[in-house]
Amino acid sequence: MRKKAYKKLKSIFKDRYLDEKIDTIQYAYDATQRMYPPDAVIFPKTAQEVSEAMKIVHKYSISVVPRGWGSGFSGGALNIDGGICMSLELMNKVIEIDEDNLIATVEAGLVNYELQEILKPYGLFFPPDPSSWKFSTIGGNIAENAGGPRAVKYGVMKDWVMGLELVLADGSIIHSGSKNVKDVAGYDITHLIVGSEGTLAIVTKALLKLYPIPEHKKTMQVVFNDMSRAAQTVSSIIKNKIIPTSIEFIDRDAIKTVEDALHIGLPKADAILIVEVDGDLCSVDESVSKIEILCRQGGAVDFKVAQDDKEADELWIARRSISPTLKRIADGKLNEDIVVPRSKLAEMIKLAQNISKKYDLPIVNFGHAGDGNIHVNIMYHTDKEDEAKKAEKAMNAIFDACLSLSGTISGEHGIGITKDAFLEKQLGSRSIELFKDVKRAFDPKNIINPHKMKL
Amino acid sequence: MKPIEESWDSCVKCGICRSVCPVFKEKKEEPFVARGHITLIQELIKGNVDFSSKKAKKYLGECLLCTTCVESCPNNAHTDLAVVAARTTVNKIHGIPLYKRVMAKTMSSRKLLDLSVRLGNIFSSVIFKTVQDVPRQGINVKIKNPVVEKDRLLLPISKKTFLNTYPDIIKGSSSKKVAVFIGCAVNYAYTEVGDALVDILERLGIEIVIPKAQACCGGPIYYSGMVDTAEKLAKKNIKLFEKIEADAILIPEPTCAAAIKVEYPRIFKYFSNDEYLERAQKLSERIRDPADYFYNDTNLIDILKNTRLNREYTVTYHDSCHLNRSLGVKTEPRELMKAIGNLEFVEMKDADRCCGNGGTFSVDFRETSLKIGRRKAQNIINSGADIVVTGCSGCMMQIAEVLNIEHSKVSVKHTIEIIDKALKGSDL
Repeated sequence: MRKKAYKKLKSIFKDRYLDEKIDTIQYAYDATQRMYPPDAVIFPKTAQEVSEAMKIVHKYSISVVPRGWGSGFSGGALNIDGGICMSLELMNKVIEIDEDNLIATVEAGLVNYELQEILKPYGLFFPPDPSSWKFSTIGGNIAENAGGPRAVKYGVMKDWVMGLELVLADGSIIHSGSKNVKDVAGYDITHLIVGSEGTLAIVTKALLKLYPIPEHKKTMQVVFNDMSRAAQTVSSIIKNKIIPTSIEFIDRDAIKTVEDALHIGLPKADAILIVEVDGDLCSVDESVSKIEILCRQGGAVDFKVAQDDKEADELWIARRSISPTLKRIADGKLNEDIVVPRSKLAEMIKLAQNISKKYDLPIVNFGHAGDGNIHVNIMYHTDKEDEAKKAEKAMNAIFDACLSLSGTISGEHGIGITKDAFLEKQLGSRSIELFKDVKRAFDPKNIINPHKMKL
Repeated sequence: MKPIEESWDSCVKCGICRSVCPVFKEKKEEPFVARGHITLIQELIKGNVDFSSKKAKKYLGECLLCTTCVESCPNNAHTDLAVVAARTTVNKIHGIPLYKRVMAKTMSSRKLLDLSVRLGNIFSSVIFKTVQDVPRQGINVKIKNPVVEKDRLLLPISKKTFLNTYPDIIKGSSSKKVAVFIGCAVNYAYTEVGDALVDILERLGIEIVIPKAQACCGGPIYYSGMVDTAEKLAKKNIKLFEKIEADAILIPEPTCAAAIKVEYPRIFKYFSNDEYLERAQKLSERIRDPADYFYNDTNLIDILKNTRLNREYTVTYHDSCHLNRSLGVKTEPRELMKAIGNLEFVEMKDADRCCGNGGTFSVDFRETSLKIGRRKAQNIINSGADIVVTGCSGCMMQIAEVLNIEHSKVSVKHTIEIIDKALKGSDL
C-alpha cells in the first residue's frame, strides 16, 4: 500500500525525489546532531506540488516533515518515524516587495539573510534576526517563532508575519491573514501557525511586515564587577523609557573563555553588556548619553562607545566569539535557551552558578539581557560518562530554576524532541490536552511532523 | 598516526557551511556541502552507506577543497581532510580515471614532466592553438578528446622551463638568502612569473638557491585522493630542501605552498605512520609566499612607495583560496600594490570567494566550475578595474577563461608581475 504512495510521489517529483540511503541520510539531521533518515525526500517547487504530495501522504497515512535549511536546535525537521522529508528549499523566491504597504510576499524556503540583502536597496529591512539568519529559512523562522538580538526593540517573528499561504493535511490550500493592518475576520490562524513547529500545516508563502532602515546606530560596551548590578542596570534603562535595539550580556566565565582564546583585551569583570541603539541622529545621541548616566549610576566600571562601524564590530567580537571558543573548556556542551523576566536575570545567573558548583561542571551564560533570554551552556567531557550524566541532571536543575522564576524553557529554539519532557511541567496537563485537540482539528491522522512537542 | 576522524568530528551540523560553500550555491543539495560530506564519511565509517554507489564518487568528487567552510566553521571541522580521506576510499572502490593516473605518473617524475612538455612543444601546431586576444594568453586543444573540451583555455606551454633557464645559485649583495620552489605551472607555463620573481630578488640583492632536483609538490595528486603517490613526492622534497640553508623557501604558487606547508604534515600525521612527521613540520615552517616574504622580511614596500607605473591603472585583487586560507596571506599583496604609484586599488565584491578552478575539479565538473567562475568574472567587471591580480596560476587560468566568456578585456596578472613592472616603471 505505502509502496504505491512512494511510487506516485516519484512519478510526480522525478529527479526531485530521492530515496537511496546515500541521499536520505543527508536529510536526516539538524543542529541537534541526531539522525533520523526519512524514507524519501521530495523538493516541491510550488504550493500546488505541495498540495499534490499532501493528498497522497494523507490518503496513505504517511508522515511528512517540512524542512528548510535544517539548522534547528530542537529537532523540528527530523523524521522521527521515517516517512517523507519535504524540503521546501527550492521555494525560495521573493514574490513581491510592496513599498506602498511595506510588505514582502516571500516563499517559505527563502533564507532570512537573502531577504535582508534584497531589501537593502529599498531602504527597508525585516527585523527578526536569529543568529542563524544566514542559514535558516523564513519558513523555519515562522515554525519556531524565531527572534534575535534586535528582539528587545523590534520583537520576534510573530510580530512581523501578516499572513500565510498554507497547505493543510488533506492537501487543500488556504490563506490566512492579509495585507490589512486591521483584520479581525475569524480566528487568527496566522499566529497559531507561527511557533507551531511545523506540526499543523505546511507554510508555503508568507506576508512579512517591513520596516525602514534606521538612519543611525550606536554600539556601547559597558563593564560591571557584579552581574546583579549589570542586570539591574538593564532594568533601569528600560524603566527610564529607553528601548535599545539590543542589550546582550556576557558572564564572567564567558569573558574569560573569549579572552583566553582571542586576547582582545577584555577586562576581568563579572559581566559585560553590549548595548545598541538605533534611530535618527538626535534620538540616538540622546539615548547614548542617558544610557551612560544610568550605567554609571548602576555601578559600571567602564563605558565605551564605538566611534564607527569598525569599532562597533570589534565590540561585537566578544559576544560573537563565545560559541566557537567554548570548546576550549570541554568538548561537550548542553546548550539551552531559557528565558526569565528581565528583572529576574541576575537571580537566574546566580542560580546557574550554584548549579555549576553543585554538579562540579562549568556553566557559561550569555545572551540577550534585554529580553531575559539566556543561553545556558553546561560544559562536560564526552569521554567521561559520569560527566555527561551530571550535565543532564544539571540541565534539569536549570529548567526547574527557570520555571521557579516564572521563566520559560525556550525563547527561540523551540520544543521539538529536545524539551518535550519539560513542556507539561511549564504549561500544565490541560494545556497539553488542548494542544492535542488543536492538532487533531488540523491533522486528524497526525501525519504532519508527528512526535514533536509530544504530539 | 592520529585518528583522522578527530579533524572533522567536531562538526555539530549547525549548517553555517550552507551559507558560504560556492558549490552548494550552485547545486543547492546537501550532499555537496561540508555538513553533508562529513555525514557521508561518518556513515561510511559506521558501515551504514555503500560506497560502491556512483553517487558516493560524485558527491565526494564535486568539492573544490576551497576550505571556505573550514574558515567559517565555529568548531573548526576540517571538511577538506574528510573529503580527501573519503576520496582515497572512493579510488580504491571505483578506480582512478585514466587521465588522473597518467597525471600522477607524469607528475611523479621530473623527467616525464619535462618530456611531456617537450613533446607538447614539438607537436604544438598539431595539438594546440595559441589563443592571443584574451584576458591572458593561453592555448586550446585542437583535437577532440574525452578529458578537455576544445573551447577550454589552458595554460600556455613555454619554450624553455624556469628550472632550465636559471643556474643553481644566483649570488646576492646582501646577507639574505632564499630558496625557490617554483611549482609546475610557473616552471612550464607562466615562466614570466618566475622571471619576475628572480628579477625582484636580484634587485633586492638577495641570494637565490634553485635546487634543480625539486619534485612536483604532489598537491593535485593528494587532493585527488592518491595519497600514497603524494607521500613519495613529499619525502623527495623533504629530503632535498632540509639540506638547503636559506632564510625562507619562496613558492610563487600557493597550491604548491599549501601542499608542502599544510598537507605534508597531515600526510605523515594521518595517512602514514612515519618518522617524517617532524621533518615535514620543520619544512612547513620555512615555506613562504613571496608577497608575504617581501612585505614582512624586506624593505620592498619602501622601495615601491617611490615607484611609478608608466601610466595609470585601476587594479583589483582576487584572493586565491590556498594563499588566503591555507597560508593566511591576505593583506600583504594588497599593501604592496597600494604602495605603487599610478596604481589605483579597488576591492571587488567577495574577493575571497573561490574562482571555481579547484585544479582537476574544473576538468571533472566544468559546468559547476564555470558557473562559480562567472560570478567571479561579474564581480571583477563590476569593480571597474583594468587588471585583476592574483597570486595563483590556477586562478589566473580560470579567471582568464571566465572573463573571456563574458567578453571582458580586463587582463589577468600575478602579484609578482605587478611588483616587477612597478620596479621597472613600465606598462602592465
